[in-house]
Amino acid sequence: MTTTHPSHSARRLFLRQAGAISALAGSGAPLLTGLLAAGSAQAALNPGQYGALVCVFLFGGNDAYNMVLPTDTASWNAYTATRNQAPDSIALLAPGTAPVPGAAAASPSRLGGVLPIAPANAQGRSFALHPLLTNLRTLFDTDRRLAIVPNIGPLVLPTTKVQYGQTSHPKPLSLFSHNDQQNTWMALGPEGTTRGWGGRIGDMIAAGNSRAVFTAISAAGNAVWLSGDNVRQYQVGNSGAIRIGADSNGRVYGSTAVATALNNVVANARGSHVFRADLASVAARSISAEETLRTALAPANQAPFGTPPTAGTYNPANDPLLRYLNPLTGVQATNSLAQQLQVVARLIEAGMRGATGVTRQVFFVSMGGFDTHDLQNRNQADLMARLNHALAYFDTTLGALNARNNVTTFTASDFGRTFTSNGDGTDHGWGSHHFVMGGAVRGGDLYGRFPALAFKNPNNNNFDGSADQLGNGALLPERSVDQLGATLGAWFGVGSSDLLQVFPNLARFDTSARNLGFMSA
Amino acid sequence: MLRALPPPARRLRRPHMFRLQRILSLLALVLATTAGQAQTPPDRPASTAEAQRFLLQATFGPAGDDAESLMKLGYGAWIDRQFGLPATSHRLTWEASDAAIRAITPAQGAGQNEVFDSFWKQALTGPDQLRQRLVFALSEIFVISGVDGAVGNEPRAMAAWLDMLGDKGTTTYRQLLESVSLHPMMGRYLSHLRNQKADPVTGRVPDQNYAREVMQLLSIGLVQLNPDGTPVMVNNRTVETYGPDDVAGLAKVFTGWSWDCPAAPNTSCFNNGTSGGVSDPDRQFKPMIPYPQFHSTEAKAFLGVTIPPQTTPDPRESLRVALNTLDAHPNTAPFISKALIQRFTVSNPSPAYVRAVAGVFINNGAGVRGDLKAVVKAILTHPEARTPANANSTGKLREPVLRLSAYLRAFPHISDTGRWRIGNTDSAANALGQTPLRSPSVFNFFRPGYVAPNTATAAAGLIAPEMQLLNETSAAGWVNYMRDNLSNGVGSFNGTVGTTVFNRRDLQRNWDFELELAVRPESLARFVTQRLLVNQYSEALKNDIAAQVASITVPTPLPDGSNLAAVTAAKRNRIFAALLLTMATPEFLTLK
Repeated sequence: MTTTHPSHSARRLFLRQAGAISALAGSGAPLLTGLLAAGSAQAALNPGQYGALVCVFLFGGNDAYNMVLPTDTASWNAYTATRNQAPDSIALLAPGTAPVPGAAAASPSRLGGVLPIAPANAQGRSFALHPLLTNLRTLFDTDRRLAIVPNIGPLVLPTTKVQYGQTSHPKPLSLFSHNDQQNTWMALGPEGTTRGWGGRIGDMIAAGNSRAVFTAISAAGNAVWLSGDNVRQYQVGNSGAIRIGADSNGRVYGSTAVATALNNVVANARGSHVFRADLASVAARSISAEETLRTALAPANQAPFGTPPTAGTYNPANDPLLRYLNPLTGVQATNSLAQQLQVVARLIEAGMRGATGVTRQVFFVSMGGFDTHDLQNRNQADLMARLNHALAYFDTTLGALNARNNVTTFTASDFGRTFTSNGDGTDHGWGSHHFVMGGAVRGGDLYGRFPALAFKNPNNNNFDGSADQLGNGALLPERSVDQLGATLGAWFGVGSSDLLQVFPNLARFDTSARNLGFMSA
Repeated sequence: MLRALPPPARRLRRPHMFRLQRILSLLALVLATTAGQAQTPPDRPASTAEAQRFLLQATFGPAGDDAESLMKLGYGAWIDRQFGLPATSHRLTWEASDAAIRAITPAQGAGQNEVFDSFWKQALTGPDQLRQRLVFALSEIFVISGVDGAVGNEPRAMAAWLDMLGDKGTTTYRQLLESVSLHPMMGRYLSHLRNQKADPVTGRVPDQNYAREVMQLLSIGLVQLNPDGTPVMVNNRTVETYGPDDVAGLAKVFTGWSWDCPAAPNTSCFNNGTSGGVSDPDRQFKPMIPYPQFHSTEAKAFLGVTIPPQTTPDPRESLRVALNTLDAHPNTAPFISKALIQRFTVSNPSPAYVRAVAGVFINNGAGVRGDLKAVVKAILTHPEARTPANANSTGKLREPVLRLSAYLRAFPHISDTGRWRIGNTDSAANALGQTPLRSPSVFNFFRPGYVAPNTATAAAGLIAPEMQLLNETSAAGWVNYMRDNLSNGVGSFNGTVGTTVFNRRDLQRNWDFELELAVRPESLARFVTQRLLVNQYSEALKNDIAAQVASITVPTPLPDGSNLAAVTAAKRNRIFAALLLTMATPEFLTLK
């Protein structure tokens, strides 16, 4: 993997920020707090302290069965028996299995055994990560900044396997459907639900932000997770905000008057058609936000965010910090997720410096391609390699910014997948395992009971030996998205009564279970 | 339905046709009045502006004398004529590009970009506008995507996919659904190509991908619908159309299908499309064929239908029953009709509009179900599409591809290479944020039910699918992309091609006509706004644009011509300013 030199880059950044502090007296406070807290275990955010939540959405439904694996004998036997299917086995190999260099790219043999991890409480079992999650293993085992939340998914209320079979028992709508379950992860309801819990958390804390536009930011297109009652998503490009029309001299076709007129025509709806009002409103936000970010963001091509180009203009696609080792080709390649996290890191640095008028922010980044119905070995290996690289890049960058304790990053996805194999892939499931990463995360452990894995009934597609597995072995979630969000929200400074508003299903879970405990309290 | 009478036979001569049309419209009027229905709109646009507005819905934008031609023919005859025009094969265009590239650089060849170029060539210059516009619409409902490597690595087959949509999209829905289901690019994209029956010994199960999405996206949708497209509500809740068992049952149908292959059905053909070194060079687009030994013989139960266990595996019979079931499902007519309405005319059709179009889907008047040409005609000629409504919620957002096409048809360019090299326009920051056939997933660039959070549109209870592509980055990206397109031309840069030196972007326009107008800002602004905004703008906006144009000073030409370059440059800046300001407006970005 690629690393920066934290001490060097951090010092340089500090010197630059120190200049900014002297120029902007009051706004430097969050930065100083962050610096003072560096290196010590950080509890929940203090009022006024800078904080950010970052959602890494894995679009398509990640096969968590091959991301976090129980390796105790009973689990492993069920796993191997179920997933070792012709023509292309998707059963990863036991810990310690040596990779076979001549085997097909990204095949289990080529990857070698899964990577054992050492949770603080192993629940009487043993666990491992996908063979390509090398950095995440270090973050889990050594750095203790990575936690695992097993078997989580949308739930209306705690649900047993028997209750799942009862039509009267409330369940999330349109289970197994991509768009609806994406929407449910983000907004606790199917497509058409327009209030996301990231945005609703933003509503609760936006009072501390003088520039509301920068409360909820996506680097990955429109995401309902970021939309609250009042908070609206702002979309940033990977290289920062984009100025409408004008060149660096403020001109369009050589004319400042045309540049000004352009801003006026795009940002004003004549008449009262609702579509036009919305178009104008987005353009107006684009213009006003860019005016701030134009000067607020530190350059992408400087440490710790990126690498100065040896010649010519900076191109993030060529920045070695943002490139990962593609397991299919064996060569370095661009990593879109790292590029998104680069601009997020720049926004966090600006936020901590007080340059964007925010103390709390929620960010959304994403990767696609997780719908591995076929060619799963190749496709998921490549995705795991990118996730592994991008999260490590982000953690390293935040370390250099002394921002690890201020930022908590978590993964989310449409759903988990079936335990069964269709010959070279998996189908839509429900519950899944997810990561939470950050300096304030109580890393190195599993937060919640890891589900039991069983053998398929040969007469049907049921998994009678597990209370956690439904048809085709899809996981019945034991923890809800509401609990995950509430745990993050509590760290973020949202009060418990507000959390019950943001997460309407939360009240149906036992009080002791509403906080999953993976954040430092 | 008013289409109960057979269409006038082709051999009828014009005067008779006119008389018959008049009789028909009179009859229609009488029927409509007696039935108390909305008045059938006249078959002919009353003004050039009305004709242009229709063409913005039905084509890639009005060009040349399109409006005049439509006004002469009337809507119905124009639609019939359009569907009668011969199709131009995208695959053959792609192959010609491939040959042209190889002639100069043998090691290279055509790729995905040449598929998009063919799309644009046909969209911008093809006479069969309605068919190609329908192809684009269908490509956003029946989605495959070059973003996926399995599809993207087969550009020739992507071009063939466009041809298939144009060919089958003008037959019946049932035929289209079959061709979509058996197209190997769909088979790769939704992974039913090479899908095998369950193995009860090892526990392998069939791939459910296509079975699920063919129901959710290509036919019936998630919830039961009324004939007018509104959801059936029971106890104030929607009713799901299918569950996991239906998906598992239907998944068995889509087992045992793979490449067309000379040695089929041997196993090597099934797995690799080749056997003994022999394969079909067109297998990437020839319909998939059955491989009975890999087809499930179990009972296949879905949507209340059960295909009984087969003693001899019969993949074609299983498929026939499955597709018939989907075609005949009560949801299909309103589901597909509404999806197509949203692609052509309005984002929020009234239930009556959906019901009317779905009625034509169910029966085209001649007893044919799923006649897609009749469905398109019903969509385009319905009063809700034709009557320019002043409501503050009508119409739709123009998606990025249709904005660029409208500009390039209103202000025609030439292509230096003849290949219309617009290429990949994926980048939202620097281009359109949309390339035909490159949706991020099978769920298209935007969802038909997309509600944009925290918007006036959402507050009004309205859907705006195309708004899913709208954000602060894409809003700026569009303006900047067009700014550069205006001053530099559009598309890829051609350096030296063979022995010809171009050193400019592929699409170029001769601005001589506009240069004449440039000294009269008001005339220039009127010309540009009328062409691009049709009748959807205010006099004040036009005057504002004119004032901005006038603010760019054009030097007085010196008698010796020594400042000619400066004069021309200033005039060009005036033209570009007028066009850019117009295309940046919310007026241009919506189609009311």
